[in-house]
This record gives sequence, C-alpha cells and structure tokens, in this order.
Amino acid sequence: MNIAHSIQSIDFLTAFSESVLAYPIVLSIHLTCIALFGGMILVTDLRLLGITFKGLTITEVVTSFRPWKRVGGTIMIAMGLPLAASEAEKYAPNPFFWTKMVVLGLIGVHALIFRPIVYNQTEELDRSPVIPTKAKVAAILSLGLWTTMFVMGRLIAYWD
Amino acid sequence: MLLQNEIADALSNNEWAFPLAECVHIGGFAVGVGSIALVDFRMLNLGLRHETAARILRYTELWTVIGLVFVVFSGAALFLSQPNVYLVNQVFPYKMYVLLAALLYNFTVHRKVATMENPPPVLSKSMAIVSLLLWVSIVFGGIFTGFLE
Repeated sequence: MNIAHSIQSIDFLTAFSESVLAYPIVLSIHLTCIALFGGMILVTDLRLLGITFKGLTITEVVTSFRPWKRVGGTIMIAMGLPLAASEAEKYAPNPFFWTKMVVLGLIGVHALIFRPIVYNQTEELDRSPVIPTKAKVAAILSLGLWTTMFVMGRLIAYWD
Repeated sequence: MLLQNEIADALSNNEWAFPLAECVHIGGFAVGVGSIALVDFRMLNLGLRHETAARILRYTELWTVIGLVFVVFSGAALFLSQPNVYLVNQVFPYKMYVLLAALLYNFTVHRKVATMENPPPVLSKSMAIVSLLLWVSIVFGGIFTGFLE
C-alpha cells in the first residue's frame, strides 16, 4: 500500500492522473492499439487455424505483421504504465489488474514456448499438407490469452 | 420504449451486464476496425505487400462486417441503458457523426479505391490515412464520452 502510494505520488504521475486531457488521451491510444494490433494477432491466429486468409502463406502473415506487433506492443505497454502507476493505490488491491498482469506474463511464456517451434518455423508449416497441431494449439492459446487480457483490462474499472 | 426499458433494466440491474456489453463493444471494434486497418496498412505499403489491397479487402470484409455489427448492437444496448446520460453528453453526438461518416466512407469511397486495379499511390495512401484517422477518432470519442460529461 505504501509503495503504491509512493508511486502515484511521483509528481509527474500525480499531474497525469489529475489532468483532464492527458489521462483519457493516453487511454485512447492504449485502446487504439487494441484495434490496430489486435486485428493482426487475430488474423495471424485465424491463419494458423486455417480459418481465413488461406490465400496468404503463414510465412507472409507472420513476417509482415511481426514488426508492427512489436511497435504496437511497445506503445501499448508504454501507455499502460502511466495509466496503472498514476492510480497505483486503486490498482494494487484490484484482482482484475493482477489477473491481467499474470496473463501478460503467460503471453510471454507462450512466446518463449511457441516462437521456436511455430512462429519461427513458418516455412515448415507452409510446406506441411495439413496445419500441424502445434500451430493450432499456439493459435487457440493466443486467442484465449489475448481475449482474457482485454476483458480483464475493461473489468479493472469495475472493481471497488 | 418498452424495448428501451427492458434493456435499461437488464443492464442496470445486473452488475456484470454493462461491463460485458462494453467488452463486446471493444472486442467487436478490435475485429471490425482491425480488419479495416489491415487494408489501410496495405494501401500505405506497410504490410502484406505480396497481396493487393483488393484481395486483402476480400479476405477481411466479412470480419469487418461481423465486428461492426457487434459494435453497433452492443453500442445500442449501452446507449439505451442510460440514454439521458448520452444525450446530454458533449462528446457523444460528435462520436456518432464521425461514426456515420466513417461507415459511409468505408463502404463507398474507401472500398472503391481499395478494389481499384492500379490506383495512384497518392490516392490510396490518402484514402488509408483518412480511414485510420476516422476510426481512431471514434476510439477517442468513446473514451472522452466517458471522461467528459
């Protein structure tokens, strides 16, 4: 609690949460990233499941989105940090916030597991006559993790 | 009126209904607008360069429509749950005007240029930028509706 109070008392963060414009602008950017880069994650997962975009190879989808997902992820985290830190005392006891953070961690674990065997092996996936199970598992887990992440994000506002 | 009362009751009596409708609203937006953004990114030469914008549009169009249908219906439910709050809000009407403009733009001019054989690069790039600006301002409109009264 004390740590949370000290964090949100940092001058810059106090000014930020009290500002009429800065807080909603940063929140809007955070959400815009969901639309722009969430769409890319969705398309990648649906392609790995073989549901849509079959005219494109998995390699094309994965490689052309990769830099944009990195940019999007960076902006999202950069915007998310002041949003949470400036209201640290509200966030610290919030179970939805912590669930979201655990899911964020799990997304990292997902990347560690599946990047070497799926996302970096797209040419092998494209050569295979049927999409291998490991790719489908990666896609379903990714869809589940990101959906939970965004639902938790919205629910943070509703816990008191 | 009856419909309005029923929705208002459902969303205000059930603690979780409003946030869940919001999740559907934002999730639908991510799918609908995310898929439009893919076409825009292609028109700006920023991704999926092996495909034409026209083909990307064809792959994504169904997702765009499905996403936007969810957005509009969940948005209508959210609105009807507290119409008085939204009707007097100083940002909300602008969000609706921009939404109308974005929808018209997307399914007319934007679609036309995206499906052109060889559009002049300046034309398709400016089309894509306008499209992204319209949709992004709707996100801002939505957030500011909640922050300014």
